[in-house]
Amino acid sequence: MNQREEWDDSELLRSMLTGDEDALVVLYRRRQAAIYRFAYQMSGCVSLAEDVTQEVFLFLMRDGQLFDPRRGSLSSFLLGVARNYVLRRLRSDHLLSPLSEDVASDEQVKEASPLDDLTRAESIESVRKAVLSLPERYREVVVLCELQEMSYAEAADVLECAIGTVRSRLHRARALLLNKLQPVRAEPTAAEVKSERCFA
Amino acid sequence: MNCQKFEDVVGDLARGQMMETYLRSTALSHLDDCVRCSQRLRDEQALLRGLHVLSLQMTTISAASEVETRLREAMRAGLVPPPALAKAHPRRAYWLAVAAAVVVLIGAIVAASWQWQSKGNESAPAQSAVTDESPTSNQPNKQAIVRNVETPKTAKPVVRRSRSTVATRRNPRAGETVANHASEIATDFIPLGNINSTTLQDGGTIVRVELPRSALVRFGLPVNMDRVDEKVKADVWMGVDGLAHAIRFVQ
Repeated sequence: MNQREEWDDSELLRSMLTGDEDALVVLYRRRQAAIYRFAYQMSGCVSLAEDVTQEVFLFLMRDGQLFDPRRGSLSSFLLGVARNYVLRRLRSDHLLSPLSEDVASDEQVKEASPLDDLTRAESIESVRKAVLSLPERYREVVVLCELQEMSYAEAADVLECAIGTVRSRLHRARALLLNKLQPVRAEPTAAEVKSERCFA
Repeated sequence: MNCQKFEDVVGDLARGQMMETYLRSTALSHLDDCVRCSQRLRDEQALLRGLHVLSLQMTTISAASEVETRLREAMRAGLVPPPALAKAHPRRAYWLAVAAAVVVLIGAIVAASWQWQSKGNESAPAQSAVTDESPTSNQPNKQAIVRNVETPKTAKPVVRRSRSTVATRRNPRAGETVANHASEIATDFIPLGNINSTTLQDGGTIVRVELPRSALVRFGLPVNMDRVDEKVKADVWMGVDGLAHAIRFVQ
């Protein structure tokens, strides 16, 4: 087992596909947390996240030969598989019905803004709920780039799309999150409107 | 810089990412003049902090140990369920579907062009009566051009545009032959002597020959007396017995 912990993912996968249980354990312990977190952050559901994690590794045991190291890392490959499972489960189970991006969120905080004090637990919970309420295509980029702190290139690899697509979706996702999190600011009256709005 | 351009860079600015010095300085100077953009940047920074805190809170979570236990048991028992969802499969299925669609499209185009060509041959004013090929026509004749075999269907010595549509449809290569002889007009086959259905079924070879124009008279065909000295082309249908069984004249 100790020796296997020094192996890279491809070596562990090859060994696992030959029936090496220790290789499976090492690989699982190395990669399961990211997959579990991704599934949990996408769904907000512990049982779904565990199911997806298990399914991903069962898939790897069954179809691991589909992984091509020339096309990306095993981590990205597994997250791509996890994404497929998560989206499939979300669509079939209707666990979440994301709010339309064009409709004002019901979860908008009417009084104090969670953005004002993000050290409070309830504010963090508001952020988590706001992320979960995003449409899937925006939620997944937020989870990958902001919560998993992956680079745009890595996220594009997982999502199988262009880096520019990741950037634009992330930009839109942040705007949606702000819209959900910030309080509804009162529109300024005509008297309050000053010439400070810039047109330069 | 205006508010719209600031919106493009506010994300990078909030993250403190590297950006052009000029762009950064103009964005920051814009903040001095625009309250809304200042608030926008503060909100963006607050959101990033919130997401970062949320990310930190979740760094320690992981799947329950039962998942690992179940996976180990599945590996020991070889209990790997059938494929439910594979990352590579949708792409493979997609390309298979595309390939199938291309094959169907090509088939449709070929069929349409074939049908169009057949109709074109049917309506062509000058078309020859070249016919389909018989697998028994293996008797080469060096003195004449060997043509395809056609079963004479009528004995009427009437000059008319021949029908080769059926033959063309049956054999694509006949279309090429028709094209080569598009300028030819041929009579129907005129029987030479007695032929029966058995003889017709035996197949044979068509041999192109040239005859004196006076030979037309023998078969009841009109002769242009101005060209009486010229030869006339004819296709003679040679049976497998080596005898000429039918003839048609070609112009």
